[in-house]
Amino acid sequence: MSLSGSQTPHDGELVQRARRGDERAFGLLVQKYGRAAYAVAYSVTGRHEDAEDAAQESFLVALERLDECRSPERFAGWLMTIVRNRSRNLVRRESLRETDQVPVSASANSPTPDRETERMELQEVLREALEVLPEVQREIVLLHDLEGWKHREIADRLGLPSGTVRSHLHFARKALREALGAHAAIEERRRSSG
Amino acid sequence: MSRDGMNRFHRDDEEARDLEVAALLEWVDPASADPNYWLRFQSWVLKGAAPELARRRLMTNLTVGDVLVGWSRAVIPPAVAAAAIAAFILTHPLQTGGELASAASVEELLVAGMGYDPTPATLVNEEAASTVAFAEETF
Repeated sequence: MSLSGSQTPHDGELVQRARRGDERAFGLLVQKYGRAAYAVAYSVTGRHEDAEDAAQESFLVALERLDECRSPERFAGWLMTIVRNRSRNLVRRESLRETDQVPVSASANSPTPDRETERMELQEVLREALEVLPEVQREIVLLHDLEGWKHREIADRLGLPSGTVRSHLHFARKALREALGAHAAIEERRRSSG
Repeated sequence: MSRDGMNRFHRDDEEARDLEVAALLEWVDPASADPNYWLRFQSWVLKGAAPELARRRLMTNLTVGDVLVGWSRAVIPPAVAAAAIAAFILTHPLQTGGELASAASVEELLVAGMGYDPTPATLVNEEAASTVAFAEETF
């Protein structure tokens, strides 16, 4: 799903075309930043359904407010701000409702029940590990290690110094590795005793 | 920070993705469970965006042609009508004289049938009339 800059027109051009109602240009922006928007939304909400809603709605809001995007070249950063704000609003609303969480993999194709159980356990460990991280660290590690954004891109689009991005990334990775290591150790002990 | 921590930090300083963490985070990606997820995501967003995109296309077209046509519809008919009236007045100067004549006639009609001379008494004899004329010139 990731697109290289050489294959598609740059953001400034896509934004200008989308302003004129060009569906293809807007589609390319969604294709280019859909995953990143989801990652940012997930880093705030911590739930698949909420992240999905927030990311999708953010694109629609961004389109309605596209004329307010003063620097079309910096569309990604502008979009991520919308995603972050909408996700926070969603969390506020959800916390009032206190709905039960549905696991991401509920609709997944599971080869065997054991494998599905293992998958869900690992997912839960990851969710908990991400939940412990500060929001900015979650966002950075997801954008860097999941979406493949460069340090400079993250710094530019989130409006942070590059050194701060590196530092957050380091601590986020460390926390995730520790959580994964602890889970693996527990699994190993369980297997050896069982 | 420990030596191991420093080594980790320097490794993080590189642009490369941490494959261990990346593999772990793959679980967050909805496409890991549903390969077509992002295609559906995009089509859902585009479906929701269709009315706004259509509105924007319409607005773009309006600024080029329709706005000018709409403007001409509002401005040109009154301008043409005003020009026609002006031309009619200019090409019919006699009618303007007629209006003055009819105004004079109205003045005559106002005094017609009166049993006395409506001229003010001060203007009847020449001496008084010259006094009034003098006063008018002076003041």
